[in-house]
Amino acid sequence: MQNIFKSTYRNFIRKPATNLINLGGLAVSLALVIILSVYSYSELTTDNFHKNGDRVYIYSDLHNEFKRLNIPAVLKDQIDLNIPEVESAVRVAGTWEEPVYQVDDHDPITSDIITADPEFFRLFTYEAAEGNLEMALNDPMTIVLAEPLAKKLFGNEQALGKTLKLNNKHTLTVSAVVKMPEANSSLSFSSIASNATRKIIFANGGEFTEWGYWNFNLFVLLKEGANSNETATKMAALYPKDMLENQRVKDYKLNHFQDLYFSNFTVSRGDYLHGGDKRKVMILLMVAALVLIIALVNFINISSSQWLEKIKQTGVLKVVGADKTSILKSVLSEAFILFLMSLFLAILLVQLSFPFVSSYTGIHFNPFLLFTPSFLIVSIAGIFLLSLMFSIIPAMRISSSKAVDNLKKTIHSGSSNSVSRGILVTAQFAIAIVLIAFTVLVQKQVDFGSNNFRFDKENIVAIKLTPQLTERQQVLKKIIQDHPNAGKISFTQFFPGKLNEHWTSNQKINGENIQLDFDTFNGDASLCSMLGLQLVQGRLFSEDLVTDSHKMIVNETFVRAHKMENPIGAKFVMGFGENVPLSEIIGVVKDFHYKPVTAPIGSLIIQNGPQTSYCLVSINTSDFKSLDHFIREIKTETNKLSPSFPVEISFLDQAVENLYQSEIQFRRTFSLFAGCAIVICCLGILAMSLFACQRRIKEIGIRKVNGARTSEVITMLNRDFVRWVAIAFVIATPVAWYIMSKWLESYAYKTNLSWWIFALAGLLALGIALLTVSWQSWKAATRNPVEALRNE
Amino acid sequence: MIHLNNIDKYYDSKFQRTFVLKAVNLEIKDGEFVSIMGPSGSGKSTLLNIIGLLDTPSAGEYSLYDKSVLDLKEKAKVDYHRNFMGFIFQAYHLIEEMTVYENIETPLIYKGVKSKDRQAMVADLLDRFNMVAKKDLFPQQLSGGQQQLVGIARAIIGKPKLLLADEPTGNLQSVQGEMIMETLKALNDEGMTIIQVTHNEKFAGYGKRIIRLEDGIVRKDVKNV
Repeated sequence: MQNIFKSTYRNFIRKPATNLINLGGLAVSLALVIILSVYSYSELTTDNFHKNGDRVYIYSDLHNEFKRLNIPAVLKDQIDLNIPEVESAVRVAGTWEEPVYQVDDHDPITSDIITADPEFFRLFTYEAAEGNLEMALNDPMTIVLAEPLAKKLFGNEQALGKTLKLNNKHTLTVSAVVKMPEANSSLSFSSIASNATRKIIFANGGEFTEWGYWNFNLFVLLKEGANSNETATKMAALYPKDMLENQRVKDYKLNHFQDLYFSNFTVSRGDYLHGGDKRKVMILLMVAALVLIIALVNFINISSSQWLEKIKQTGVLKVVGADKTSILKSVLSEAFILFLMSLFLAILLVQLSFPFVSSYTGIHFNPFLLFTPSFLIVSIAGIFLLSLMFSIIPAMRISSSKAVDNLKKTIHSGSSNSVSRGILVTAQFAIAIVLIAFTVLVQKQVDFGSNNFRFDKENIVAIKLTPQLTERQQVLKKIIQDHPNAGKISFTQFFPGKLNEHWTSNQKINGENIQLDFDTFNGDASLCSMLGLQLVQGRLFSEDLVTDSHKMIVNETFVRAHKMENPIGAKFVMGFGENVPLSEIIGVVKDFHYKPVTAPIGSLIIQNGPQTSYCLVSINTSDFKSLDHFIREIKTETNKLSPSFPVEISFLDQAVENLYQSEIQFRRTFSLFAGCAIVICCLGILAMSLFACQRRIKEIGIRKVNGARTSEVITMLNRDFVRWVAIAFVIATPVAWYIMSKWLESYAYKTNLSWWIFALAGLLALGIALLTVSWQSWKAATRNPVEALRNE
Repeated sequence: MIHLNNIDKYYDSKFQRTFVLKAVNLEIKDGEFVSIMGPSGSGKSTLLNIIGLLDTPSAGEYSLYDKSVLDLKEKAKVDYHRNFMGFIFQAYHLIEEMTVYENIETPLIYKGVKSKDRQAMVADLLDRFNMVAKKDLFPQQLSGGQQQLVGIARAIIGKPKLLLADEPTGNLQSVQGEMIMETLKALNDEGMTIIQVTHNEKFAGYGKRIIRLEDGIVRKDVKNV
């Protein structure tokens, strides 16, 4: 055993360059594989930690294209009364605006909240840090805090039983503190209040009593053995008669809660639900596999070049009396030691690079996972298998070669060997080209998206209206107006990425029954001109006309979707209840992206209503200093106006960019890993060129003596590699084209696949290859031929 | 043709200077056939390499046709290799991946000779050395003597004025060695200047002039009639 370590060490020291390349390449690729597989594992096992998870359903139409999740709250009361198979039904909802928490006189903190029925913790398995979760939501005016928020509000003190102020108005008692799970979850919240509490503090019209308010998500725990389809049919029958024909009512089914995360659902109303993208996980897993392949190819190439020497060495060993198995063992264990070393290096690399990688790419997982026994066992076993798979054939060849042959040195590196190596290197380059092309495409799509919002977003500041600012809206307006740098001012509910109300209603328009389905937000006269929305028909809101209060502007999609020939002047009721006046469409504007760009543009109505949540201000300077000055002054002023609620000020273009966060992070992840793949590729060809030059030293010498110039020798040495890249390019282009067009399919608005993406990828690969190889070729070509030709 | 004046070649190690060649003066005229002899390590090969511009002396002057060739740029050196001199080695140094034909053709490719002319020139030489039948074989498939013939063919295909041979018969049996020496002699008779390094007294005798080196110093320089 000790012998094996000694000989491994000596072999390593003898050829440090190639062995380091081998080790480094393997370590980097294993580090990527570790990061990506742990990340994918945590994504793919999202929501698996709930004990009753297999019996928890969400009432929705996830199974078809709309993927809506909302239901009216009244439904639950009916379910409780009429459907015995349902063990418990829990309504969960977020809030329009994040509330402000305050403990005593400490600084107020803005954070999200959800409200739920008391059985919430029966469906979802959470651990309590303080208090008893089962009882925690029973009483009104109590609140369950998630541990991070509890820490922020109460520090390290106990929070249980203490009180806090919500929105500077309501006093709530902390009834429990809940630990956040380490596993990935599609539910995220900073606190939970009961729906009884919601009735008191977020009273929102008749949301608990009327069928028209679809504000909640409904999670259902079925009794064991209950049939989800039958139950869903029963649930649909509970709606009042006039709603039974509603498409949405008919479409809803009970979908497994664990399918929610990857279902691409439409989030609405508070974003406590998070979705993942299975395709991205799969693509990243594929990248991990490709990187591993590249590193393994390096391993094969490098070690196969070393076989020759090893064969000579074993010849001597055999003469001295070594048998077949002992040689087999020593070759195999040498490979295993190399793999094992690279595994430990990889774990170290992951540890060191994780903070950076995680902040750069947004990939999160618990790094302690790396030291759990199951991870170590799995990875060491995996490493063992890999090393065995990739060294058993050379080991057999070496151990079964005849001693006499070995000593006679009659074994030549045949041309078949170099052909197979050529194929492997070609495969590596093909992978590298696909990865480069894909990286370029993702970047192009991100650029395309953020430059095609179809509204002006530069130099606009958004001030989020707190309750206190809303009350003093006119004062705020006056203050901003007086500032020399302020341009237009608009009060609106529009903000990129904020989801808007989605309404469906049956209306009689011009004597025709139409089912309307649309998004809506409030805007005022200056909004359209500030965003540069283009008018197609009719007119925009006017500041001077008081009569504009029940007028509406719609977008082109709205007109198209509802097949309206004469949209201008169409009147219908907006809202619920009696005595609501008719609203009238006065204008049609061109489509623009008011939603995240992955989603298609929907039907939109801009109302001229009084409720607003943002104050948008266009600034007439792009000078950084005066901009900064402006923001600071507005901040001081608004803080004065809104002392108990912190005011958020942001830039509109930044908000738009945030919509692309996941794409940008994906691009970063992808380019980081593709970059590593390319580096490993380079290491591989570096080793290859090292061998090629060594093998051809004599030939180079002969050629030089016969009149070859340095440049000609370099050309000769590089020619092989260029040929491999060319073949790789031919193979990679269609593959990359196919993958890329598949990937683009998921975007409603997508950039096109230009030819230059492929050309760029090919040229980059060629450039990288030439740079790497030429370094060695140059060294070999400028060497004095006398050294190579000295008589043996 | 060749003029060596006070050529030194030495290596400096920590405390002492080891001379490989010391104060070598040599004048070689067009059409000479010179054999350089001496025991191992006497500096024969180094001298040949210096003459062949493969190595540079540590001190002294070296001129070809009264033109100093000591500080030549790489490009000029390559031009000498292409047009002025040819090399033969003890281990033949043929390119194993190439056929006989391709091996002989290589220098012409570097010289930029057109494909058609190359064909004619290689065919002539193959004919002259009676190797037409072997032109598609690889070096391993030939006997040592035949391999060395290919080596000579490759060395002279560019019609050099000077042929440098480093123990051309060292790896050969005596019959084959003699054949090689006869070939060299014939080339010399046609006017080619030849310098050979050899251990073998008999083969040295083919030269018209014999130079004996010992410890890097020219001990003897005699005409051989």
